[in-house]
Amino acid sequence: MDSKTLAYINLHGILANLVWLCQMDDEAKKLIEGVDIALAIEVKDGPSGTLTFRDGKCTYAEGVGKCDIKLPFSSCDKFNGMINGTVTPFPSKGLLKIGFLLKTFTKLTDILESYLRPAPEKLEDPVFFKKSTELMFHLIASAVSQIGNHDRIGKHSASYIVDGNVKLGIENGIAMQIVAKDSHLTTLHTCPEDCTAYMMFENINTARDLFDGKVNAVVCVGLGQVRIGGMISMVDNINRILDRVAVYLA
Amino acid sequence: MRPVNTYTKSQEAFRRACKVIPSGIYGHQGPAEGCYVPVEAWPLYTSKAQGSWFWDLDGNKYIDYMCAYGPNILGYNDPDVDEAAAKQRAIGDCTTLPQTVMIDFADLLVDTVACADWAFFAKNGNDATTAAVMTARAHTRRKKLIMFKGYYHGVSPWTQKIDYAGVLEEDVVNNIVLPWNDVAALEQCFAENKGQIAAVVSQPYMHGNFHDNELPAPGFWQKVRQLCDENETVLIIDDVRAGFRMDLAGSDHYFGFEADLICFCKALANGYNVSALCGKAHLQNTVSSLSFTGSYWMSAVPFAAGIACIEKLKRIDAAKLLNEKGAKLRDGLVAAGKKYGFDLHVTGVPSLFYLRIADDPTLKLHQAWIAECVKRGVFFTTHHNHFINAALSDQDIAETIEIADEAFSIVANRR
Repeated sequence: MDSKTLAYINLHGILANLVWLCQMDDEAKKLIEGVDIALAIEVKDGPSGTLTFRDGKCTYAEGVGKCDIKLPFSSCDKFNGMINGTVTPFPSKGLLKIGFLLKTFTKLTDILESYLRPAPEKLEDPVFFKKSTELMFHLIASAVSQIGNHDRIGKHSASYIVDGNVKLGIENGIAMQIVAKDSHLTTLHTCPEDCTAYMMFENINTARDLFDGKVNAVVCVGLGQVRIGGMISMVDNINRILDRVAVYLA
Repeated sequence: MRPVNTYTKSQEAFRRACKVIPSGIYGHQGPAEGCYVPVEAWPLYTSKAQGSWFWDLDGNKYIDYMCAYGPNILGYNDPDVDEAAAKQRAIGDCTTLPQTVMIDFADLLVDTVACADWAFFAKNGNDATTAAVMTARAHTRRKKLIMFKGYYHGVSPWTQKIDYAGVLEEDVVNNIVLPWNDVAALEQCFAENKGQIAAVVSQPYMHGNFHDNELPAPGFWQKVRQLCDENETVLIIDDVRAGFRMDLAGSDHYFGFEADLICFCKALANGYNVSALCGKAHLQNTVSSLSFTGSYWMSAVPFAAGIACIEKLKRIDAAKLLNEKGAKLRDGLVAAGKKYGFDLHVTGVPSLFYLRIADDPTLKLHQAWIAECVKRGVFFTTHHNHFINAALSDQDIAETIEIADEAFSIVANRR
């Protein structure tokens, strides 16, 4: 596992997932009510991004934008350490707003973790199950692009992906897309009007079982539980990257 | 309008298979790797086959343009091949000592294949390509292999890519992949890897999936041959897919050059299980030194079938015949497409043609048309080159064009 790739996934995938969490979880929504703070994270020789909490919403943009708090990390390992709880960050800007970091932000990430690493019994609640699966879907879709752009083997897979977009989605549910241009991948968390190729799960249960590694995509295609079409070589190579997602997110 | 097939029994069988066989049907004959889009349009199992047709489990009949992905070159259950195989089976098949029919088959290949001074037998195309690469490495004492983008040389780890499940970096670290038809890239590669290239491994032309197939540019193979000679590199032609459908003397012969090693399988014995590596005399001793064999590699029935197959291919001038049939089909399909405003590209040589409706680069339109053909009894694939067999009749071709026409009309109405 490559530390730099993991840092990109941790920032652009996991922390960026707060955007969707703050849309779907009532407790998270309540936590950011009235909050007006932009938090920038900058990792040396790694990713950077800015989470903005404003007007009851969370937005995310890559790069260090205008911010109230800035968390610099001297290496990808240090940043990954913050995500797994072994490193305590220290802001280079916004010391007076450290309360947000210690309370609100920590609480938000705890809620996020409860969805991304759920207790099995919580998944029995269909509402929780749906939210958890959709958040996982956002994370996995983000991770595909990060692995395709940074992981050595993932880059090999991406090099075989022709230009265009691959729609990933759940029938009658959420959909997103991976855009490929000159072997660089970008995840857009929006359903495309048209696509070069697609991979659609027949329902949220199939999606979840695939994410959890309980079923195999090749079998699901044969059984019609996963639909693929269009420029299938793109789907094939995205699938090879998806195999590596488990290496980073296990 | 023709009735549309249903596949209840195929689907039932597949569900049963999924419980006890990984992915139900693994590999290229399965619905995922076979790119069955949508999966409901395709049969999954065969109940019987004869000549140029097969029937699925639900009793639907197909004019078959995949020919078991190549082996069926004379027609399923060809009486001459089957009779030779039956006679040999009565004598013995898998025996402790090999039978002399093996020598007869080797003699026949040496007489038939232009570059062959000897023949080494195995079971699958992958065995032959792997034997070829081992031979080249043993002969040159070098590691690196040059291949061309879009290559397919089997399923052994060395033939795969670093991101494939179960493949190690060490398996593929010596593979160099160059663009097809790019002489400058080849020259540069040889210059940068002086004294390190064991072999150039290639199919006779680029029949990769999802793209129009591409013939060699004029002079390309001659230049490759020259570079291999100058660099003492072994030139391996993987004729597993194209072998005997372009030229009975080998596809290298078709393009006017001589390979050092040439690999055959698919059409070698009309479906009986045998593959062959043939090559030039200076490599025979190296092959003798390989530790490479298998339990069934000297089974006699496939040798007898292979002899009958090659002799019949010669009698009927098969390469010419198959290309004429393929050309007739190609012309009919292109005309049918044009009638509805579709630009159907038919590429590769006619005996192993590749289809693509060029109006939609995403291939979705093409996949929709192919699905309508399959549902009406013409077995095409969406992504792979096709194969012509000698049993394909003019009536089959006419019926295929009729069904293709109907499928075009359906797809045109949806646009």
